[in-house]
Amino acid sequence: MTLSWKRINAIFQKDTKDLWKNYFVSSIIVLPILMALLYSYTTEEPSIDLHYMIINLALASVTAFIQCAVIAEEKEKHTLRGLMLSPASIPEILIGKSLVTLFLTVITLLVCAFITGYQPANIALVAVALFISMVFYMGIGMILGLLSRTIIEASFIVMPVIFIFGFGSMLMGLIDRYPVLSFVEYLPNIQLLEFAYQVELGAGFGELWSYLAVILAWAIVAVILSGVVYKKRELDE
Amino acid sequence: MILVEILSVHNLERQDKDVLLFPSFDLIVNAGEVVAIHSNLNIRDSLLKIFLGKIPTGKGEIKVLGKKLEKNKKLTAYKAGISFFEQVVYERLSVLDNLRFFHQIFNSDQSLDDVLSITQLSNLKHKAVHKLTFSEKRRVYFAKILIEDPVLLIFEEPELNVDLETKRVFLNVLEQLKGKSKSVLILTGNMESAITMSDIVYRLKDDGIHRVETRDDVVASEIGEVEQINEEEDTPLAFKFNKIPTKVNEKIVLFDPPEIDYIESNDGQSNVFIKGEAFPSTFTMNELEERLMPFGFFRCHRSYIVNLQKVREVITWTRNSYSLVLDDKPKSTIPLSKTKMAQLKEMLGLK
Repeated sequence: MTLSWKRINAIFQKDTKDLWKNYFVSSIIVLPILMALLYSYTTEEPSIDLHYMIINLALASVTAFIQCAVIAEEKEKHTLRGLMLSPASIPEILIGKSLVTLFLTVITLLVCAFITGYQPANIALVAVALFISMVFYMGIGMILGLLSRTIIEASFIVMPVIFIFGFGSMLMGLIDRYPVLSFVEYLPNIQLLEFAYQVELGAGFGELWSYLAVILAWAIVAVILSGVVYKKRELDE
Repeated sequence: MILVEILSVHNLERQDKDVLLFPSFDLIVNAGEVVAIHSNLNIRDSLLKIFLGKIPTGKGEIKVLGKKLEKNKKLTAYKAGISFFEQVVYERLSVLDNLRFFHQIFNSDQSLDDVLSITQLSNLKHKAVHKLTFSEKRRVYFAKILIEDPVLLIFEEPELNVDLETKRVFLNVLEQLKGKSKSVLILTGNMESAITMSDIVYRLKDDGIHRVETRDDVVASEIGEVEQINEEEDTPLAFKFNKIPTKVNEKIVLFDPPEIDYIESNDGQSNVFIKGEAFPSTFTMNELEERLMPFGFFRCHRSYIVNLQKVREVITWTRNSYSLVLDDKPKSTIPLSKTKMAQLKEMLGLK
């Protein structure tokens, strides 16, 4: 089956326009930006920890939530039924929607980085890590979007994700006290943070690949899982 | 004219658990034809599901343009499209954005301006869909399927509860489609709209499919009248009794003729409509026509008798299709056939 770029583009444009008018979903972008503003005013010189708290929050809220919401909404309003009857295939629909999420995430991340004044030592490496992370969060968003039936339900089940991955760096403090929680270190958000530390220290790809591999593994698992959930739940109920 | 078969349904039947929805039937729709199937909601629903491949066709088969419908193929692959009653478009987007989106998705070669003008949406094109009225939304759905531009168009309840403007738009759309040799299948539960909209009307029920006579069968009604007269001669009435009896749950309710809005014949059963409610009558249409004639009633269609005092408006949709709008509570519209139009004009003193 060949993918039609024209149709993907049509879905991308439609969803971008639609999203700007859907304040319930698009207002989530304000959350990380507000946090960024708050911290940039209260802290003199933000640490890497702080930059990445904002970045992880942006990824968990914007990427996961928007992906989740755009899928859940088409299900709720039954517009998916119309799309399924059109020549557009499911991969085309999902790619189109993922592009919207990607687009909005990049904008949010750029705005946040600008506000907090984050300038990574090696932009290319950080961009690769961020991109892989986005794939992971889009996978999560897709799974939750497929599981929820309405947009309200979607915004509810995405909360734990925002909490665990968005504020996950706070969990690190707990590890010292409860060694059971040491697996937290391998969460993609913590790995991303460690990765960024190493980049700032001037590490090369040789030292960094293990972090990327862990994040990539998470991303692959998320994508495969969303495929499984998709198969289980026929989109046109 | 050579008839080109667009849709052919063969031996299709549907049993839902213990209930027989409809026994096996055949149906053919040719190019340039508008065919309506009048049925109840359950039958309509399962027909649509069969078209969508959600219910197996069983031993029957449906062919579009000679190709058999298969479960895993999209309907668009057969050049067929469905305009659902509960069609969904993107409510927050403007009419134009919606149509543009469908234009791209369906890779359409229709001109957006043409579609907007035939559906009379040109003035509304920048309005968000959720701000439109019910009838205007319906026109957006019409526009959508026009952009899709299939060879076989299936409409589900296209003009249920819509305003007169939209009804006219829909009839114009049908005329245009006929001109382009497209085939249209209309699924509706409203006999009046089925008759007004289409050339051929079928009634699909649990006892099979029946063609509803839409052309005025003059000969048949004459025979009926002749029989009528004979009966009357046999049993002369002692006094003239004017009330019209109807049956409601074993009770007999009598109505004064001026109370009656119109009478509709449904499968041999005549129903008397009063204030939007139907009461089954014990008389046949011919008997009723004769009894009610002196009270200013008029047989405006094979299946309809109307109380002329209640008629507010005569609408001309196209050269061959007319409707009467009544002044009753639900503002009913009832069909007026072409031959009866001439008769009505005469009665009204128009030429």
